[in-house]
Amino acid sequence: MLSNFLKLTWRNLAKHKTHSSITICGFAVGIAACLLISLFIRDELSYDRHTPDGERIYRFYVEYHYQGNVYWSTSFPSPFAQTILNEYPEIEKVGRLFPVPLFGAGDRFFRRADQNQNFFEEGFVWADQGLIDTLQIPIVQGDPRKALSDPRSIVISKKIADKYFPSEDPVGKLLVVNNNAEQPYRIGGVMADFPQNSHLQYNFFMSLAGTPFGQRETTRWTQSNHNTYALLKEGVDSVALQEKLKNVIRNHYKPAFEAEGSVVAKDIEEMVFIKMLPVRDIHLKSVGILEPGGQTRGDIRFVWLFGMAAVGIFLIACVNFINLSTAKSANRAKEVGLRKVVGSNRALLIQQFLGESLIISAFSFALAVVMAELFLPVFNHLLNKDLSLPWMTWQFPLLLLVAILVVGFLAGLFPAFYLSSFKPISVLRGSLSMGSRSGSIRSVLVVFQFSACILLIIGTIFVYRQQQYILSKPLGYDREQVVMIEGTNVLGQQIQSFKQELRKLSGVESVSISDYVPIAGGTRNGNGFWKEGRSTLDPAVNGQRWIIDEDYIQTMGMRLVEGRNFSVEIQSDRQAAIINRRMAEKLGLSNPVGSRITNGFAVNEVIGVVEDFNFDSLTSEIFPLCMNFGYASRIVNLRLVAGQHQQTLDSVQSVWAQFVPNQEFRYNFLDESYAAMYENVRRMLSILTWFSVLAIVIACLGLFALSAFMTEQRSKEISVRRVIGASFASILQMLSLSFLRLVFISFMIAVPFSWYLLENWLNTYEYRINLRWDVFIYAGMIACGVAILTVSYHAFRAAHRNPVHGLRSE
Amino acid sequence: MIKTHNLSKIFTTEEVETTALHNINIHIQEGEFVSIMGPSGCGKSTLLNLIGLLDSPSGGEYYLLDEEVAGYTERRRAKLRKYNIGFIFQSFNLIDELTVFENAELPLLYQKISSAERKERVEEILDFLQIAHRRNHFPQQLSGGQQQRVAVARAIVGKPKIILADEPTGNLDSKNGEDVMNMLVDLNNSGTTIVMVTHSPSHADYGNRIINLFDGEVVTQSTNGGQAVADRSEVRL
Repeated sequence: MLSNFLKLTWRNLAKHKTHSSITICGFAVGIAACLLISLFIRDELSYDRHTPDGERIYRFYVEYHYQGNVYWSTSFPSPFAQTILNEYPEIEKVGRLFPVPLFGAGDRFFRRADQNQNFFEEGFVWADQGLIDTLQIPIVQGDPRKALSDPRSIVISKKIADKYFPSEDPVGKLLVVNNNAEQPYRIGGVMADFPQNSHLQYNFFMSLAGTPFGQRETTRWTQSNHNTYALLKEGVDSVALQEKLKNVIRNHYKPAFEAEGSVVAKDIEEMVFIKMLPVRDIHLKSVGILEPGGQTRGDIRFVWLFGMAAVGIFLIACVNFINLSTAKSANRAKEVGLRKVVGSNRALLIQQFLGESLIISAFSFALAVVMAELFLPVFNHLLNKDLSLPWMTWQFPLLLLVAILVVGFLAGLFPAFYLSSFKPISVLRGSLSMGSRSGSIRSVLVVFQFSACILLIIGTIFVYRQQQYILSKPLGYDREQVVMIEGTNVLGQQIQSFKQELRKLSGVESVSISDYVPIAGGTRNGNGFWKEGRSTLDPAVNGQRWIIDEDYIQTMGMRLVEGRNFSVEIQSDRQAAIINRRMAEKLGLSNPVGSRITNGFAVNEVIGVVEDFNFDSLTSEIFPLCMNFGYASRIVNLRLVAGQHQQTLDSVQSVWAQFVPNQEFRYNFLDESYAAMYENVRRMLSILTWFSVLAIVIACLGLFALSAFMTEQRSKEISVRRVIGASFASILQMLSLSFLRLVFISFMIAVPFSWYLLENWLNTYEYRINLRWDVFIYAGMIACGVAILTVSYHAFRAAHRNPVHGLRSE
Repeated sequence: MIKTHNLSKIFTTEEVETTALHNINIHIQEGEFVSIMGPSGCGKSTLLNLIGLLDSPSGGEYYLLDEEVAGYTERRRAKLRKYNIGFIFQSFNLIDELTVFENAELPLLYQKISSAERKERVEEILDFLQIAHRRNHFPQQLSGGQQQRVAVARAIVGKPKIILADEPTGNLDSKNGEDVMNMLVDLNNSGTTIVMVTHSPSHADYGNRIINLFDGEVVTQSTNGGQAVADRSEVRL
């Protein structure tokens, strides 16, 4: 019996080659998509799972409520960690991380003290011994208990140790960071490399022991720079602890702000809340938290979106499988009838059809795995990840096997019961009116598929338009032709003569020294500003304080709307400020030029006002900005003459080599860095596009099957109509219309839904496009066009056959 | 009106070729009532389908209304069919989703006749065939005889010159069978050419000529009851 089934299955597949390949390929594409998405989700959920005692480790963050807005930050004052350890017995250990680039975190030059060549490496950060203890970071060489305890000690990663100290014990050796040979670091230990799925990605921990930023910083409560982690004792209720942390605001923050005469002190308990996030949630639930290191985090909403997409695509694929199986029912009906006549019972038939669907399921999974392997590089590229199918685990092959059985069984269930229900008499008489019972289910499934398609088409169009809008929006500065040379702080005192040399090059229009560049990744800070003398009376205007030189405004192509630029000749310009329009507005300066403003420390006279320009992601509004005269030496910016970039860059590099022969020459184009800011939008766009295409293809397969089914079912009616005189056009119209009705219903469902989703998404942008009706109409037209093309294949065939075919059913 | 010369039909399925009709030469005049007889599988229905332009021949010539139509595309055949030929089938072939009235109205819709005229003509035919009281019923609600009346109504509502009937009485009891035959005779008397395939010798006798087919070839043609073909056509003229 079994061999009979297998033989029949094989012959059925081989006989209807087109149909079988559509069934198997369609199913496989859906499964492959699910596999890939599952890999992504698995990876996203795996973050920081490796941390021992991870369920007891928390990172603190602060929630600010200010002028109706909510901001989050992970920065805490230096004494915060020790204070909570002392005051809360629930806490077992605390650790601090200090990731602020301004103070030396990020990318750095360094060398072994016994060598001259400098190397550029990423991943420098300040940390304390408590961090190693709290997160139980594995130390592979050196003493884990005091690797970072001594001032000016440093812990390096295994990767770095292998690279710079091959077959040597690095512990105890000296490193010179940023050419500062007077104060080298002593290597206190080597830590294991952070796994790719850790929220921390660092290579160098520089010790926070002692007073690296001055005595005052270590005791001050009004300056927040430290990320703080804590290991709780076992059985501690974290919610209750979080509630108790209000006392830290009352007992420590408030007096400190009061002592400095700050206006925020009064309401601070209603404005600032300390919260705790489990370390395992950091990767996915830190949305909206500005990470000073500029690391990219995941987004739990994205994981949900992907998860829903996976389930959706999987359902669509199963639906197709069911549609395609029942679509062939007319061919199978006779077989069923005959088998029943010669003595088969229904149970046997159900077994047979389930067996068939299991075989098809196995084929599809095999193909899906091949497809997934083939598309993995593309998918990794889209997501900027390094995922692979986990063949080496025992769970994965087992999971595949179980999935083959479950999917084959579930997808085959409906066709099996449906096909086996045919009554032999009616089948053999040819008077079976097929599928009218299940027609409505099928219609619902098609509507579901097409709603999803239209949703994705609309989403893709608007995400694309929003991206174009952002990338082409006037920014208030000219990002073309600007090159940023990075790491110029190694030039030290020579930076001015370096600038003069560059200026002499014919391809260089202007040169400016400033690392406050108007793209994400430029140096940033937060300051409060007041009109002179109002700092204890008015609430502060939150803004940025940038250090720029006399050529900055020209080099960046910004527009001075009032007043004048800084001048080297005028001594008093050292105490002057150029502000942006927003700052003038927020401070309420009606005649900004000549007025005097303060950040609480120094008082500046405003000498000029620049047009507002975007300096962070366009998702945020333009912040008030105060620019002071000086030299922030990490970056030198060049405006180049158009058309001879490569030549000019070559000469710039040779100038660089004369000044600092041992340093790597690094540069970026401003416009490229600007585009990189929108990398996540681009990524989302390409993923959306892929899913749209996939969903459309799969939905078309479903429609193809359904139209085959319906034309088959209606072949007698079509023939009768043809005999009576119906034209091709009218048959085509009749068949297409019934599908277009379904597409139209899908459209009506998809439009409000996508409108709502897109409105919400666009509202996360400060500068956004508006939703337009015509785009929705286009999307509907695309869906209709695709539907008509798919359906007309069968309709055309039906309308072109000799009408006698449909009548010869006896 | 209908004339074939060496008409043949071969069915080809993958490797097997079956000759259904071989060198058929028949000539049917306007106003004739011709019965086609023969055993099962002799090619009666195939011949009727070729005559009715529902299928295309494999070889030979076919003149319908003095036009050579054997090489016509399906599009042109459909057009000829629409205005000239009405069909009646053994299994009625009504559309289950349409009512009696709508089924009968269908040919007029495809002939683009105005709604008022359609209504008038369909009502007239349904009255004539005594089925008007069931006009809003669906085919499954009718007896076989009633269904065949609807099929006849549909076949004649477009005023075709020729009616092709494929065993119209095959699924009916003798009473209903007689009724249908009488309707066909009435139609013939009012000038419509009728070609009918039948198994029943008694029903075949309603026609004025019988064509006997065997294994895809015409074996005999006999005129019936002394009604000379030429006489009838002269009467009509």
